[in-house]
Amino acid sequence: MTRTLAVAEGVAWRVLRNVFKNPSLLVPSLVFPLFFFTAFAGGLAGISRAPGFDFPDGYTAFQFVFVLLQSAAFSGVFTGFGIARDFERGFAKRLLIAAPRRGGILLGYALAAIVRWALVAVLLTVVALAAGMEVGGNGVDLFGLYALALLVNVAGILWATGVAMRLRTMQAGPVMQFPVFITLFLAPVYVPLSLLTGWIKALATVNPATRFLEAGRSLLAGAPHEVALAFGAALGLGLLFALWALRGLRSAERAGAA
Amino acid sequence: MRPNSIEAEGLAKQFRKGPRAVDGIDLHVSPGEIYGFLGPNGAGKSTTVHMLTTLLPPTAGTGRVAGYDIVREGARVRAAIGAALQEAALDPLLTGRDHLRLQMALHGIPRRERSERADELLVRVGLTGAADRKVGGYSGGMKRRLDLALALVHRPRILFLDEPTTGLDPQSRAALWDEVGRLASDGVTVFLTTQYLEEADVLADRVGIIDHGRIVAEGTPAALKGEIGRPTVEVVPADPDQRGAVADVLARFGEPSQASPDGVAVRIDGEAELAPIVRALDAEDLHVAQLQLHAPTLDDVFLAKTGRSLEGAEEPEAVAAE
Repeated sequence: MTRTLAVAEGVAWRVLRNVFKNPSLLVPSLVFPLFFFTAFAGGLAGISRAPGFDFPDGYTAFQFVFVLLQSAAFSGVFTGFGIARDFERGFAKRLLIAAPRRGGILLGYALAAIVRWALVAVLLTVVALAAGMEVGGNGVDLFGLYALALLVNVAGILWATGVAMRLRTMQAGPVMQFPVFITLFLAPVYVPLSLLTGWIKALATVNPATRFLEAGRSLLAGAPHEVALAFGAALGLGLLFALWALRGLRSAERAGAA
Repeated sequence: MRPNSIEAEGLAKQFRKGPRAVDGIDLHVSPGEIYGFLGPNGAGKSTTVHMLTTLLPPTAGTGRVAGYDIVREGARVRAAIGAALQEAALDPLLTGRDHLRLQMALHGIPRRERSERADELLVRVGLTGAADRKVGGYSGGMKRRLDLALALVHRPRILFLDEPTTGLDPQSRAALWDEVGRLASDGVTVFLTTQYLEEADVLADRVGIIDHGRIVAEGTPAALKGEIGRPTVEVVPADPDQRGAVADVLARFGEPSQASPDGVAVRIDGEAELAPIVRALDAEDLHVAQLQLHAPTLDDVFLAKTGRSLEGAEEPEAVAAE
Protein backbone atom coordinates (compact mmCIF):
# COMPACT_ATOMS: atom_id res chain seq x y z
CA MET A 1 0.00 0.00 0.00
CA THR A 2 2.87 2.37 0.83
CA ARG A 3 4.35 1.74 -2.62
CA THR A 4 0.99 2.44 -4.28
CA LEU A 5 0.64 5.71 -2.38
CA ALA A 6 4.20 6.73 -3.26
CA VAL A 7 3.45 6.19 -6.95
CA ALA A 8 0.16 8.10 -6.62
CA GLU A 9 1.95 10.98 -4.91
CA GLY A 10 4.49 11.22 -7.71
CA VAL A 11 1.93 11.09 -10.51
CA ALA A 12 -0.40 13.60 -8.83
CA TRP A 13 2.49 15.95 -8.05
CA ARG A 14 3.63 15.93 -11.66
CA VAL A 15 0.15 16.62 -13.08
CA LEU A 16 -0.51 19.45 -10.64
CA ARG A 17 2.92 20.99 -11.13
CA ASN A 18 2.32 21.10 -14.87
CA VAL A 19 -1.14 22.57 -14.41
CA PHE A 20 -0.15 25.27 -11.94
CA LYS A 21 3.03 26.24 -13.77
CA ASN A 22 1.37 26.50 -17.18
CA PRO A 23 -1.52 28.96 -17.38
CA SER A 24 -2.62 27.49 -20.71
CA LEU A 25 -3.49 24.28 -18.88
CA LEU A 26 -5.04 25.92 -15.80
CA VAL A 27 -7.06 28.85 -17.12
CA PRO A 28 -9.50 27.03 -19.45
CA SER A 29 -10.57 24.62 -16.73
CA LEU A 30 -11.37 27.63 -14.49
CA VAL A 31 -12.93 29.87 -17.09
CA PHE A 32 -15.29 27.47 -18.87
CA PRO A 33 -17.48 26.67 -15.83
CA LEU A 34 -17.68 30.38 -15.02
CA PHE A 35 -18.69 31.09 -18.61
CA PHE A 36 -21.42 28.44 -18.50
CA PHE A 37 -22.63 29.72 -15.13
CA THR A 38 -22.80 33.31 -16.36
CA ALA A 39 -24.48 32.31 -19.61
CA PHE A 40 -27.07 29.98 -18.07
CA ALA A 41 -27.82 31.75 -14.79
CA GLY A 42 -27.69 35.26 -16.25
CA GLY A 43 -28.93 34.80 -19.79
CA LEU A 44 -31.73 32.35 -19.01
CA ALA A 45 -32.88 33.83 -15.69
CA GLY A 46 -36.29 34.62 -17.20
CA ILE A 47 -37.10 30.89 -17.17
CA SER A 48 -37.70 31.17 -13.44
CA ARG A 49 -40.86 33.14 -14.19
CA ALA A 50 -42.30 30.29 -16.25
CA PRO A 51 -45.49 28.74 -14.83
CA GLY A 52 -44.67 25.75 -12.65
CA PHE A 53 -41.05 26.73 -11.96
CA ASP A 54 -41.00 26.21 -8.23
CA PHE A 55 -37.34 26.16 -7.15
CA PRO A 56 -37.33 28.31 -4.02
CA ASP A 57 -33.78 29.73 -4.14
CA GLY A 58 -34.03 31.27 -7.59
CA TYR A 59 -32.55 30.54 -10.99
CA THR A 60 -28.93 31.39 -10.03
CA ALA A 61 -28.92 28.63 -7.41
CA PHE A 62 -30.82 26.32 -9.79
CA GLN A 63 -28.11 26.70 -12.45
CA PHE A 64 -25.25 26.70 -9.94
CA VAL A 65 -25.92 23.05 -9.12
CA PHE A 66 -25.88 22.09 -12.79
CA VAL A 67 -22.62 23.94 -13.50
CA LEU A 68 -21.03 22.49 -10.36
CA LEU A 69 -21.90 18.93 -11.42
CA GLN A 70 -20.97 19.64 -15.04
CA SER A 71 -17.54 20.96 -13.99
CA ALA A 72 -17.07 17.87 -11.82
CA ALA A 73 -17.82 15.50 -14.68
CA PHE A 74 -15.81 17.38 -17.30
CA SER A 75 -12.84 17.80 -14.98
CA GLY A 76 -12.66 14.03 -15.05
CA VAL A 77 -12.85 14.00 -18.84
CA PHE A 78 -9.97 16.49 -19.10
CA THR A 79 -7.90 14.15 -16.95
CA GLY A 80 -8.48 11.50 -19.59
CA PHE A 81 -7.06 13.88 -22.20
CA GLY A 82 -3.90 14.21 -20.11
CA ILE A 83 -3.54 10.46 -19.76
CA ALA A 84 -4.03 9.94 -23.50
CA ARG A 85 -1.38 12.60 -24.16
CA ASP A 86 1.04 10.76 -21.87
CA PHE A 87 0.51 7.56 -23.83
CA GLU A 88 0.84 9.30 -27.16
CA ARG A 89 4.11 10.98 -26.15
CA GLY A 90 5.57 7.87 -24.55
CA PHE A 91 5.63 9.29 -21.02
CA ALA A 92 3.30 6.55 -19.84
CA LYS A 93 6.08 4.04 -20.55
CA ARG A 94 8.23 5.78 -17.95
CA LEU A 95 5.40 5.53 -15.42
CA LEU A 96 4.70 1.87 -16.20
CA ILE A 97 8.37 0.85 -16.00
CA ALA A 98 9.21 2.89 -12.91
CA ALA A 99 6.11 2.26 -10.84
CA PRO A 100 6.37 -0.97 -8.89
CA ARG A 101 2.63 -0.73 -8.12
CA ARG A 102 0.81 0.41 -11.24
CA GLY A 103 -2.55 0.92 -9.57
CA GLY A 104 -0.88 3.98 -8.02
CA ILE A 105 -0.74 5.56 -11.47
CA LEU A 106 -4.55 5.56 -11.67
CA LEU A 107 -4.82 6.85 -8.14
CA GLY A 108 -2.33 9.63 -8.86
CA TYR A 109 -4.17 10.88 -11.92
CA ALA A 110 -7.44 10.75 -9.94
CA LEU A 111 -6.03 12.69 -6.99
CA ALA A 112 -4.69 15.40 -9.28
CA ALA A 113 -8.06 15.66 -11.02
CA ILE A 114 -9.87 15.98 -7.70
CA VAL A 115 -7.56 18.79 -6.58
CA ARG A 116 -8.05 20.57 -9.91
CA TRP A 117 -11.80 20.29 -9.67
CA ALA A 118 -11.80 21.40 -6.01
CA LEU A 119 -10.21 24.64 -7.14
CA VAL A 120 -12.91 25.08 -9.79
CA ALA A 121 -15.64 24.33 -7.24
CA VAL A 122 -14.29 26.91 -4.79
CA LEU A 123 -14.02 29.59 -7.47
CA LEU A 124 -17.47 28.79 -8.84
CA THR A 125 -18.99 28.97 -5.37
CA VAL A 126 -17.35 32.31 -4.62
CA VAL A 127 -18.54 33.78 -7.92
CA ALA A 128 -22.08 32.40 -7.42
CA LEU A 129 -22.30 33.86 -3.93
CA ALA A 130 -20.95 37.16 -5.19
CA ALA A 131 -23.64 37.09 -7.88
CA GLY A 132 -26.28 36.85 -5.18
CA MET A 133 -26.99 33.12 -5.11
CA GLU A 134 -29.41 32.22 -2.33
CA VAL A 135 -28.58 29.17 -0.21
CA GLY A 136 -31.39 27.55 1.72
CA GLY A 137 -29.50 24.48 2.96
CA ASN A 138 -27.49 24.19 6.15
CA GLY A 139 -23.88 23.02 6.49
CA VAL A 140 -24.81 19.35 6.34
CA ASP A 141 -26.88 19.89 3.18
CA LEU A 142 -24.05 21.75 1.51
CA PHE A 143 -21.57 19.07 2.53
CA GLY A 144 -23.89 16.58 0.90
CA LEU A 145 -24.04 18.65 -2.30
CA TYR A 146 -20.24 18.87 -2.59
CA ALA A 147 -19.81 15.19 -1.67
CA LEU A 148 -22.24 14.24 -4.42
CA ALA A 149 -20.35 16.43 -6.89
CA LEU A 150 -17.11 14.80 -5.78
CA LEU A 151 -18.54 11.36 -6.53
CA VAL A 152 -19.59 12.58 -9.98
CA ASN A 153 -16.08 13.93 -10.44
CA VAL A 154 -14.54 10.57 -9.51
CA ALA A 155 -16.93 8.71 -11.83
CA GLY A 156 -15.97 11.09 -14.67
CA ILE A 157 -12.28 10.59 -13.99
CA LEU A 158 -12.59 6.81 -13.99
CA TRP A 159 -14.70 6.76 -17.15
CA ALA A 160 -12.23 8.92 -19.09
CA THR A 161 -9.23 7.07 -17.65
CA GLY A 162 -10.65 3.77 -18.88
CA VAL A 163 -11.12 5.17 -22.38
CA ALA A 164 -7.68 6.82 -22.44
CA MET A 165 -5.92 3.66 -21.30
CA ARG A 166 -7.67 1.55 -23.91
CA LEU A 167 -7.27 3.84 -26.93
CA ARG A 168 -4.03 5.60 -25.84
CA THR A 169 -4.41 8.50 -28.26
CA MET A 170 -5.62 12.07 -28.07
CA GLN A 171 -8.03 11.20 -30.86
CA ALA A 172 -10.03 9.41 -28.17
CA GLY A 173 -11.13 12.82 -26.85
CA PRO A 174 -14.63 12.71 -28.38
CA VAL A 175 -15.16 9.17 -27.07
CA MET A 176 -14.50 10.45 -23.54
CA GLN A 177 -16.43 13.68 -23.93
CA PHE A 178 -19.53 12.88 -25.97
CA PRO A 179 -21.29 10.39 -23.65
CA VAL A 180 -20.76 12.73 -20.69
CA PHE A 181 -22.05 15.70 -22.66
CA ILE A 182 -25.15 13.83 -23.86
CA THR A 183 -25.90 12.40 -20.42
CA LEU A 184 -25.71 15.81 -18.78
CA PHE A 185 -27.75 17.63 -21.38
CA LEU A 186 -30.47 14.98 -21.43
CA ALA A 187 -31.09 15.81 -17.77
CA PRO A 188 -33.32 18.70 -16.62
CA VAL A 189 -30.68 21.37 -17.10
CA TYR A 190 -32.77 24.50 -17.62
CA VAL A 191 -36.07 23.61 -15.96
CA PRO A 192 -37.16 21.15 -13.27
CA LEU A 193 -38.06 17.60 -14.37
CA SER A 194 -41.72 18.33 -13.72
CA LEU A 195 -41.76 20.91 -16.53
CA LEU A 196 -40.32 18.59 -19.17
CA THR A 197 -42.67 16.78 -21.53
CA GLY A 198 -42.59 14.03 -24.14
CA TRP A 199 -39.57 11.88 -25.02
CA ILE A 200 -37.11 14.16 -23.28
CA LYS A 201 -38.98 13.72 -20.01
CA ALA A 202 -38.95 9.95 -20.51
CA LEU A 203 -35.20 9.99 -21.08
CA ALA A 204 -34.53 12.43 -18.25
CA THR A 205 -36.50 10.29 -15.83
CA VAL A 206 -34.18 7.31 -16.29
CA ASN A 207 -31.02 9.39 -16.68
CA PRO A 208 -28.77 9.08 -13.58
CA ALA A 209 -27.66 12.69 -14.09
CA THR A 210 -31.25 13.72 -13.31
CA ARG A 211 -30.96 12.08 -9.91
CA PHE A 212 -27.72 14.02 -9.23
CA LEU A 213 -29.24 17.33 -10.35
CA GLU A 214 -32.53 16.94 -8.51
CA ALA A 215 -30.82 15.77 -5.32
CA GLY A 216 -28.14 18.48 -5.57
CA ARG A 217 -30.73 21.21 -6.04
CA SER A 218 -32.78 19.90 -3.15
CA LEU A 219 -29.70 19.94 -0.91
CA LEU A 220 -28.85 23.51 -1.89
CA ALA A 221 -32.43 24.53 -1.16
CA GLY A 222 -32.35 22.81 2.23
CA ALA A 223 -35.13 20.35 1.34
CA PRO A 224 -33.28 17.06 0.66
CA HIS A 225 -35.19 14.83 -1.75
CA GLU A 226 -34.13 11.37 -2.97
CA VAL A 227 -30.58 12.07 -1.86
CA ALA A 228 -29.85 8.42 -1.02
CA LEU A 229 -30.89 7.41 -4.52
CA ALA A 230 -28.54 9.97 -6.04
CA PHE A 231 -25.64 8.87 -3.86
CA GLY A 232 -26.39 5.25 -4.69
CA ALA A 233 -26.37 6.01 -8.41
CA ALA A 234 -23.12 7.98 -8.14
CA LEU A 235 -21.44 5.26 -6.09
CA GLY A 236 -22.66 2.60 -8.51
CA LEU A 237 -21.29 4.51 -11.49
CA GLY A 238 -18.04 5.08 -9.60
CA LEU A 239 -17.62 1.37 -8.89
CA LEU A 240 -18.52 0.43 -12.45
CA PHE A 241 -16.05 2.90 -13.92
CA ALA A 242 -13.36 1.89 -11.40
CA LEU A 243 -13.57 -1.59 -12.86
CA TRP A 244 -13.55 -0.07 -16.36
CA ALA A 245 -10.43 1.98 -15.54
CA LEU A 246 -8.60 -0.95 -13.97
CA ARG A 247 -9.32 -3.12 -16.98
CA GLY A 248 -8.13 -0.22 -19.13
CA LEU A 249 -4.86 -0.22 -17.21
CA ARG A 250 -4.50 -3.96 -17.85
CA SER A 251 -5.16 -3.32 -21.55
CA ALA A 252 -2.40 -0.68 -21.60
CA GLU A 253 -0.06 -3.09 -19.81
CA ARG A 254 -0.75 -5.81 -22.37
CA ALA A 255 0.03 -3.39 -25.18
CA GLY A 256 3.25 -2.22 -23.52
CA ALA A 257 1.83 1.33 -23.36
CA ALA A 258 2.25 1.57 -27.14
CA MET B 1 19.63 -11.24 -1.58
CA ARG B 2 18.72 -12.55 -5.02
CA PRO B 3 21.33 -12.49 -7.80
CA ASN B 4 21.35 -9.52 -10.12
CA SER B 5 21.26 -11.74 -13.17
CA ILE B 6 19.03 -11.86 -16.24
CA GLU B 7 17.75 -15.13 -17.59
CA ALA B 8 15.36 -16.05 -20.36
CA GLU B 9 14.26 -19.32 -21.86
CA GLY B 10 12.36 -19.49 -25.12
CA LEU B 11 11.24 -15.88 -24.69
CA ALA B 12 8.99 -14.87 -27.56
CA LYS B 13 6.67 -12.04 -28.59
CA GLN B 14 4.12 -12.40 -31.33
CA PHE B 15 2.28 -9.16 -32.01
CA ARG B 16 -1.36 -9.44 -32.97
CA LYS B 17 -1.64 -9.01 -36.74
CA GLY B 18 2.11 -8.34 -36.72
CA PRO B 19 5.47 -10.00 -36.86
CA ARG B 20 6.92 -12.52 -34.43
CA ALA B 21 9.30 -9.86 -33.17
CA VAL B 22 11.17 -12.14 -30.77
CA ASP B 23 11.29 -15.79 -31.66
CA GLY B 24 12.21 -17.88 -28.65
CA ILE B 25 15.48 -16.52 -27.30
CA ASP B 26 17.58 -17.91 -24.44
CA LEU B 27 19.70 -15.54 -22.39
CA HIS B 28 21.92 -15.70 -19.35
CA VAL B 29 23.54 -12.50 -18.16
CA SER B 30 25.70 -12.93 -15.06
CA PRO B 31 25.78 -10.48 -12.16
CA GLY B 32 28.04 -7.49 -12.85
CA GLU B 33 28.35 -8.29 -16.53
CA ILE B 34 27.87 -5.83 -19.40
CA TYR B 35 25.88 -7.69 -22.03
CA GLY B 36 25.72 -6.09 -25.45
CA PHE B 37 22.65 -6.96 -27.49
CA LEU B 38 23.56 -6.19 -31.05
CA GLY B 39 21.39 -6.20 -34.12
CA PRO B 40 19.92 -4.07 -36.90
CA ASN B 41 16.76 -2.00 -36.51
CA GLY B 42 13.75 -4.26 -36.26
CA ALA B 43 15.72 -7.33 -35.19
CA GLY B 44 13.87 -7.62 -31.86
CA LYS B 45 16.24 -5.82 -29.47
CA SER B 46 13.78 -3.31 -28.04
CA THR B 47 10.96 -5.84 -27.84
CA THR B 48 13.26 -8.07 -25.79
CA VAL B 49 14.08 -5.17 -23.46
CA HIS B 50 10.40 -4.29 -23.15
CA MET B 51 9.64 -7.86 -22.06
CA LEU B 52 12.53 -8.09 -19.62
CA THR B 53 11.59 -4.74 -18.05
CA THR B 54 7.94 -5.91 -17.70
CA LEU B 55 6.63 -3.27 -20.08
CA LEU B 56 5.37 -5.93 -22.48
CA PRO B 57 4.18 -9.42 -21.58
CA PRO B 58 5.81 -12.25 -23.54
CA THR B 59 3.60 -14.54 -25.59
CA ALA B 60 5.80 -17.56 -24.85
CA GLY B 61 8.78 -18.54 -22.74
CA THR B 62 9.96 -17.38 -19.35
CA GLY B 63 12.22 -14.68 -18.02
CA ARG B 64 13.75 -13.94 -14.63
CA VAL B 65 15.33 -10.62 -13.81
CA ALA B 66 17.07 -10.13 -10.45
CA GLY B 67 15.72 -13.55 -9.55
CA TYR B 68 12.09 -12.55 -10.12
CA ASP B 69 9.70 -13.83 -12.76
CA ILE B 70 8.95 -11.06 -15.27
CA VAL B 71 5.27 -12.02 -15.56
CA ARG B 72 4.28 -13.06 -12.05
CA GLU B 73 6.59 -10.77 -10.05
CA GLY B 74 6.58 -7.65 -12.21
CA ALA B 75 6.49 -5.23 -9.28
CA ARG B 76 9.62 -6.79 -7.75
CA VAL B 77 11.40 -6.75 -11.09
CA ARG B 78 10.60 -3.06 -11.56
CA ALA B 79 11.87 -2.25 -8.07
CA ALA B 80 15.19 -3.94 -8.83
CA ILE B 81 15.91 -2.51 -12.28
CA GLY B 82 16.60 0.82 -13.90
CA ALA B 83 15.74 1.37 -17.54
CA ALA B 84 16.53 4.02 -20.12
CA LEU B 85 14.48 3.26 -23.20
CA GLN B 86 15.27 4.07 -26.80
CA GLU B 87 13.10 7.16 -26.87
CA ALA B 88 13.85 9.18 -23.74
CA ALA B 89 10.27 9.54 -22.46
CA LEU B 90 10.46 12.94 -20.80
CA ASP B 91 7.86 15.60 -20.10
CA PRO B 92 8.90 18.79 -21.93
CA LEU B 93 7.12 20.95 -19.35
CA LEU B 94 9.08 19.60 -16.38
CA THR B 95 12.65 20.52 -15.47
CA GLY B 96 15.41 17.98 -15.07
CA ARG B 97 15.15 18.27 -11.29
CA ASP B 98 11.36 17.81 -11.48
CA HIS B 99 11.88 14.57 -13.37
CA LEU B 100 14.25 13.31 -10.71
CA ARG B 101 11.77 14.20 -8.00
CA LEU B 102 8.99 12.38 -9.84
CA GLN B 103 11.13 9.31 -10.44
CA MET B 104 12.14 9.18 -6.77
CA ALA B 105 8.52 9.42 -5.70
CA LEU B 106 7.60 6.58 -8.06
CA HIS B 107 10.29 4.45 -6.43
CA GLY B 108 9.21 5.42 -2.94
CA ILE B 109 12.48 7.11 -1.96
CA PRO B 110 11.95 9.00 1.33
CA ARG B 111 11.48 12.76 0.91
CA ARG B 112 14.43 13.62 3.16
CA GLU B 113 16.80 11.81 0.80
CA ARG B 114 15.45 13.16 -2.48
CA SER B 115 17.19 16.51 -2.69
CA GLU B 116 20.64 15.14 -1.89
CA ARG B 117 20.22 12.18 -4.25
CA ALA B 118 19.04 14.49 -7.06
CA ASP B 119 22.08 16.73 -6.65
CA GLU B 120 24.38 13.71 -6.60
CA LEU B 121 22.91 12.34 -9.85
CA LEU B 122 22.90 15.71 -11.58
CA VAL B 123 26.61 16.04 -10.86
CA ARG B 124 27.21 12.49 -12.03
CA VAL B 125 25.62 13.09 -15.45
CA GLY B 126 26.88 16.67 -15.77
CA LEU B 127 23.49 18.39 -15.73
CA THR B 128 23.80 20.55 -12.62
CA GLY B 129 23.73 23.77 -14.64
CA ALA B 130 20.63 22.75 -16.58
CA ALA B 131 18.77 21.11 -13.69
CA ASP B 132 16.17 23.85 -13.35
CA ARG B 133 15.51 24.33 -17.04
CA LYS B 134 12.52 22.76 -18.78
CA VAL B 135 13.47 19.55 -20.55
CA GLY B 136 11.81 20.79 -23.75
CA GLY B 137 14.91 22.94 -24.27
CA TYR B 138 17.44 20.14 -23.71
CA SER B 139 19.63 18.76 -26.50
CA GLY B 140 19.44 15.07 -27.41
CA GLY B 141 22.58 14.34 -25.42
CA MET B 142 21.25 16.12 -22.33
CA LYS B 143 18.00 14.16 -22.55
CA ARG B 144 19.94 10.90 -22.74
CA ARG B 145 22.03 11.84 -19.71
CA LEU B 146 18.95 12.82 -17.75
CA ASP B 147 17.32 9.54 -18.76
CA LEU B 148 20.34 7.68 -17.40
CA ALA B 149 20.18 9.65 -14.14
CA LEU B 150 16.49 8.79 -13.85
CA ALA B 151 17.25 5.12 -14.32
CA LEU B 152 19.72 5.31 -11.43
CA VAL B 153 17.66 7.13 -8.79
CA HIS B 154 16.93 4.01 -6.72
CA ARG B 155 20.41 2.49 -7.11
CA PRO B 156 19.23 -0.43 -9.27
CA ARG B 157 21.15 -3.69 -9.37
CA ILE B 158 20.37 -4.19 -13.03
CA LEU B 159 20.33 -1.52 -15.70
CA PHE B 160 18.68 -1.79 -19.12
CA LEU B 161 19.95 0.70 -21.69
CA ASP B 162 18.13 0.58 -25.01
CA GLU B 163 20.32 2.17 -27.68
CA PRO B 164 21.58 4.77 -25.20
CA THR B 165 23.95 6.52 -27.60
CA THR B 166 21.87 6.62 -30.76
CA GLY B 167 22.02 10.13 -32.16
CA LEU B 168 24.68 11.34 -29.73
CA ASP B 169 27.80 13.23 -30.71
CA PRO B 170 31.13 11.41 -30.15
CA GLN B 171 31.91 13.34 -26.96
CA SER B 172 28.54 12.55 -25.34
CA ARG B 173 28.88 8.95 -26.48
CA ALA B 174 32.30 8.61 -24.85
CA ALA B 175 30.99 10.19 -21.63
CA LEU B 176 28.13 7.71 -21.53
CA TRP B 177 30.47 4.79 -22.16
CA ASP B 178 32.61 5.95 -19.21
CA GLU B 179 29.55 6.07 -17.00
CA VAL B 180 28.41 2.59 -18.04
CA GLY B 181 31.90 1.30 -17.28
CA ARG B 182 31.79 2.91 -13.82
CA LEU B 183 28.41 1.35 -13.09
CA ALA B 184 29.63 -2.10 -14.08
CA SER B 185 32.68 -1.70 -11.85
CA ASP B 186 30.25 -0.94 -9.01
CA GLY B 187 28.66 -4.36 -9.62
CA VAL B 188 25.64 -3.24 -11.64
CA THR B 189 24.58 -5.70 -14.35
CA VAL B 190 24.12 -3.82 -17.62
CA PHE B 191 21.98 -5.03 -20.52
CA LEU B 192 22.78 -2.74 -23.41
CA THR B 193 21.18 -2.83 -26.83
CA THR B 194 22.99 -1.18 -29.67
CA GLN B 195 23.32 -1.13 -33.41
CA TYR B 196 26.82 0.27 -33.15
CA LEU B 197 29.50 -2.39 -33.54
CA GLU B 198 32.13 -0.27 -31.88
CA GLU B 199 29.94 0.27 -28.85
CA ALA B 200 29.40 -3.44 -28.32
CA ASP B 201 33.08 -4.11 -28.94
CA VAL B 202 34.32 -1.50 -26.49
CA LEU B 203 31.78 -1.88 -23.71
CA ALA B 204 30.43 -5.40 -23.62
CA ASP B 205 31.92 -8.31 -21.73
CA ARG B 206 29.74 -10.54 -23.88
CA VAL B 207 27.71 -9.88 -26.99
CA GLY B 208 24.53 -11.47 -28.27
CA ILE B 209 23.73 -10.88 -31.91
CA ILE B 210 20.03 -10.91 -32.75
CA ASP B 211 18.51 -11.12 -36.20
CA HIS B 212 14.89 -11.80 -37.16
CA GLY B 213 14.07 -12.23 -33.48
CA ARG B 214 16.63 -15.01 -32.92
CA ILE B 215 20.05 -14.94 -31.32
CA VAL B 216 22.43 -15.99 -34.08
CA ALA B 217 25.71 -15.69 -32.15
CA GLU B 218 26.79 -15.13 -28.58
CA GLY B 219 30.12 -14.83 -26.79
CA THR B 220 32.86 -12.39 -25.93
CA PRO B 221 33.68 -10.00 -28.77
CA ALA B 222 37.14 -11.59 -29.10
CA ALA B 223 35.77 -15.12 -29.19
CA LEU B 224 33.10 -14.22 -31.76
CA LYS B 225 35.63 -12.56 -34.00
CA GLY B 226 38.05 -15.44 -33.51
CA GLU B 227 35.31 -17.89 -34.40
CA ILE B 228 34.72 -16.52 -37.87
CA GLY B 229 38.32 -16.56 -38.91
CA ARG B 230 41.64 -15.01 -39.53
CA PRO B 231 42.61 -11.50 -40.55
CA THR B 232 43.01 -10.59 -44.19
CA VAL B 233 45.73 -8.60 -45.90
CA GLU B 234 44.87 -6.50 -48.90
CA VAL B 235 47.47 -5.06 -51.26
CA VAL B 236 46.83 -2.50 -54.02
CA PRO B 237 49.81 -2.51 -56.42
CA ALA B 238 51.15 0.83 -57.67
CA ASP B 239 51.08 -0.60 -61.20
CA PRO B 240 47.76 -2.32 -62.01
CA ASP B 241 49.56 -4.64 -64.41
CA GLN B 242 51.36 -6.19 -61.44
CA ARG B 243 48.13 -7.53 -59.82
CA GLY B 244 48.93 -11.07 -60.97
CA ALA B 245 52.47 -10.98 -59.59
CA VAL B 246 51.21 -9.56 -56.29
CA ALA B 247 48.59 -12.31 -56.10
CA ASP B 248 51.29 -14.94 -56.58
CA VAL B 249 53.35 -13.52 -53.71
CA LEU B 250 50.34 -13.24 -51.39
CA ALA B 251 49.27 -16.81 -52.16
CA ARG B 252 52.31 -17.94 -50.15
CA PHE B 253 50.74 -16.45 -46.99
CA GLY B 254 47.13 -17.63 -47.22
CA GLU B 255 44.07 -18.33 -49.30
CA PRO B 256 42.57 -15.69 -51.62
CA SER B 257 39.86 -13.48 -50.18
CA GLN B 258 37.46 -10.81 -51.44
CA ALA B 259 39.24 -7.52 -52.20
CA SER B 260 38.55 -4.07 -53.63
CA PRO B 261 38.54 -3.83 -57.48
CA ASP B 262 42.16 -2.64 -57.63
CA GLY B 263 43.50 -4.87 -54.90
CA VAL B 264 44.43 -8.44 -54.07
CA ALA B 265 43.61 -9.97 -50.68
CA VAL B 266 44.39 -13.16 -48.78
CA ARG B 267 43.14 -14.59 -45.52
CA ILE B 268 46.34 -15.12 -43.60
CA ASP B 269 47.40 -18.52 -42.26
CA GLY B 270 48.93 -18.22 -38.79
CA GLU B 271 50.02 -14.95 -37.14
CA ALA B 272 48.86 -11.62 -38.50
CA GLU B 273 52.31 -10.17 -39.30
CA LEU B 274 52.88 -7.76 -42.15
CA ALA B 275 56.70 -7.72 -42.14
CA PRO B 276 57.22 -11.07 -44.02
CA ILE B 277 54.68 -9.99 -46.65
CA VAL B 278 56.39 -6.62 -47.16
CA ARG B 279 59.77 -8.36 -47.45
CA ALA B 280 58.44 -10.85 -50.00
CA LEU B 281 56.89 -8.10 -52.15
CA ASP B 282 60.10 -6.08 -51.98
CA ALA B 283 62.16 -9.14 -52.99
CA GLU B 284 60.05 -9.43 -56.15
CA ASP B 285 60.49 -5.68 -56.78
CA LEU B 286 56.75 -5.10 -56.61
CA HIS B 287 55.69 -1.55 -55.74
CA VAL B 288 52.71 -1.12 -53.45
CA ALA B 289 50.23 1.78 -53.40
CA GLN B 290 48.28 0.51 -50.34
CA LEU B 291 48.69 -2.30 -47.87
CA GLN B 292 46.07 -2.99 -45.22
CA LEU B 293 45.55 -5.55 -42.49
CA HIS B 294 41.85 -6.19 -41.77
CA ALA B 295 41.17 -7.72 -38.39
CA PRO B 296 37.73 -9.40 -38.17
CA THR B 297 34.99 -7.16 -36.78
CA LEU B 298 31.63 -7.89 -35.25
CA ASP B 299 30.18 -6.88 -38.61
CA ASP B 300 32.16 -9.78 -40.12
CA VAL B 301 30.60 -11.99 -37.45
CA PHE B 302 27.14 -10.72 -38.38
CA LEU B 303 27.91 -11.23 -42.06
CA ALA B 304 29.15 -14.75 -41.43
CA LYS B 305 26.08 -15.66 -39.38
CA THR B 306 23.36 -14.00 -41.44
CA GLY B 307 24.83 -13.49 -44.88
CA ARG B 308 24.24 -9.74 -44.58
CA SER B 309 26.24 -6.83 -43.27
CA LEU B 310 24.97 -5.25 -40.06
CA GLU B 311 25.37 -1.82 -41.63
CA GLY B 312 22.10 -1.22 -43.47
CA ALA B 313 20.60 -4.57 -42.48
CA GLU B 314 17.37 -2.91 -41.30
CA GLU B 315 14.25 -5.04 -41.49
CA PRO B 316 11.39 -2.80 -42.50
CA GLU B 317 8.65 -5.32 -41.82
CA ALA B 318 9.52 -5.49 -38.13
CA VAL B 319 10.30 -1.85 -37.45
CA ALA B 320 6.83 -1.19 -36.11
CA ALA B 321 7.45 -3.69 -33.37
CA GLU B 322 10.63 -1.99 -32.24
